[in-house]
Amino acid sequence: MVANTKEVIEEDICVSRSSADEKREWSYKDELCVGCGICADICPVDAIELEPIGGIVRTGAKKSKISIDENKCVLCGMCSVGCPADALDLKIDNKSIKEMDSYPKLIKSAEIDDETCVFCKACETACPREAITIARSLPERSKLVTGEIEIDKETCIDCGICEEMCPADAITLSHQIPTSADPSVSSDIVVDKDKCVYCLICKKSCPVDAIKAACRTCSYGEYDLNPEDAEIEGSSFIDDDLCINCGWCQEICPVDAATVKKAFKGELNIDQDKCTTCGACVDICPCDVLSFPKPADSGQIVDKVFKDEKYCIYCGACGKVCPVEAIDVKRTDVDYTPTKSNSWKNKMESLKS
Amino acid sequence: MPKHIVSGLKYLTAVELIRKGLSQKEVAKILEMDRSTVSHYLNGRNLSWNSIEVAEIITKFCPKDFLTLTYALLNNSEKTRIIVKTCSKGNYQAKVEETCIGCGLCADTCLMNAIVLDDLKAQIDSNWCCGCLMCRDVCPTNSIKILEVEDGC
Repeated sequence: MVANTKEVIEEDICVSRSSADEKREWSYKDELCVGCGICADICPVDAIELEPIGGIVRTGAKKSKISIDENKCVLCGMCSVGCPADALDLKIDNKSIKEMDSYPKLIKSAEIDDETCVFCKACETACPREAITIARSLPERSKLVTGEIEIDKETCIDCGICEEMCPADAITLSHQIPTSADPSVSSDIVVDKDKCVYCLICKKSCPVDAIKAACRTCSYGEYDLNPEDAEIEGSSFIDDDLCINCGWCQEICPVDAATVKKAFKGELNIDQDKCTTCGACVDICPCDVLSFPKPADSGQIVDKVFKDEKYCIYCGACGKVCPVEAIDVKRTDVDYTPTKSNSWKNKMESLKS
Repeated sequence: MPKHIVSGLKYLTAVELIRKGLSQKEVAKILEMDRSTVSHYLNGRNLSWNSIEVAEIITKFCPKDFLTLTYALLNNSEKTRIIVKTCSKGNYQAKVEETCIGCGLCADTCLMNAIVLDDLKAQIDSNWCCGCLMCRDVCPTNSIKILEVEDGC
């Protein structure tokens, strides 16, 4: 009487069930899935299966990383609550269960404090999920220049050496062929003060010493720059869908502006003897925890796979993909919001291994 | 023919409701009928006795058959639940175990609208439970127990 319908759009999947009283919609976004298989482990009716993720990730095959049997799925939403990558969601009457207090929720977050942030973009570069965008507006360069040059046009011989030497392309001569009426090789020489950085290459290279430098710092006895002129403004943005709370931004930030809260605590152990260096784990890890170390000297023996657990979210994808069971991921703690349902509590606790 | 059986079921329901002390007006409202039709029914007019016999047989079916057949005949869930509740002979007590995951499948399945979800757990209103066991059969975690109880328990 009550049947589920399944819709597949490219690699994304949607399963829904409608009754007179409510509509439940389960959705899977393959782009966000990290292939950890927590959904398959937590599913109370074994409706979800993890596909051969190693092959899919490494070949970029157009194939969903999980499959769901819509005839088994009861649309309870446990998989979406356990998913560390927010690739799964269950909506009841168009409202996500992540917004409902009765459902537990993994406690995880990533924030960048714009007040502390210096907009250096290190996090943007490091983020393995490309979830961070830093927008910054830099101060006007001319306002930070400590002096200016002046060209004595009487002395200048229009040789153009300063124009060629200027690294900022701030000097321009109006070159011309001399005529009897105007027997000069240039009609004018101008300095673009917005471009000039007062490096004094022109002054040093001028063969006739036609360039005078007026240093503001020296003339005023102290640095006369207005700190406001040097202010860098900006804003940070974290795409919550893409962010996996790996902690790269927090670790790389030079001013501690990024704060990451992870939902799982645990241990990641790699059996270096078993490892065949196939690299599947390195490719699948959504957090760039794993890498192949390069020996510093020739002949030096290094670990087959290098790990830095600072960035690990203990999702377990590497352990699932390893063909020789060389990786063991243990989850020792799961942080989630309280729920009154014992069955849900038990399921959340079952994520610990 | 189905219409005749429906009339028979409505007749049985009307008689039972009147026996429980409801007025003809109230019965007419509940069953969405004309008051005059109720009056005619109660006086045994405009209704073949054969329809009543068939309807009586249906009410003695096992609860699931009674419910699903009535729903198929009426195609109206509100009237179905009133007829089934009124004419149902058994009393049931429903219990939901802690293993319930709150998937809502039982609530969606229950034609008696006796189930709601509260804090990720199904709550079954035993007053409306007709003992069809469809919720129990559909439950993925076998969390529902339905007991038939003696009158007054």
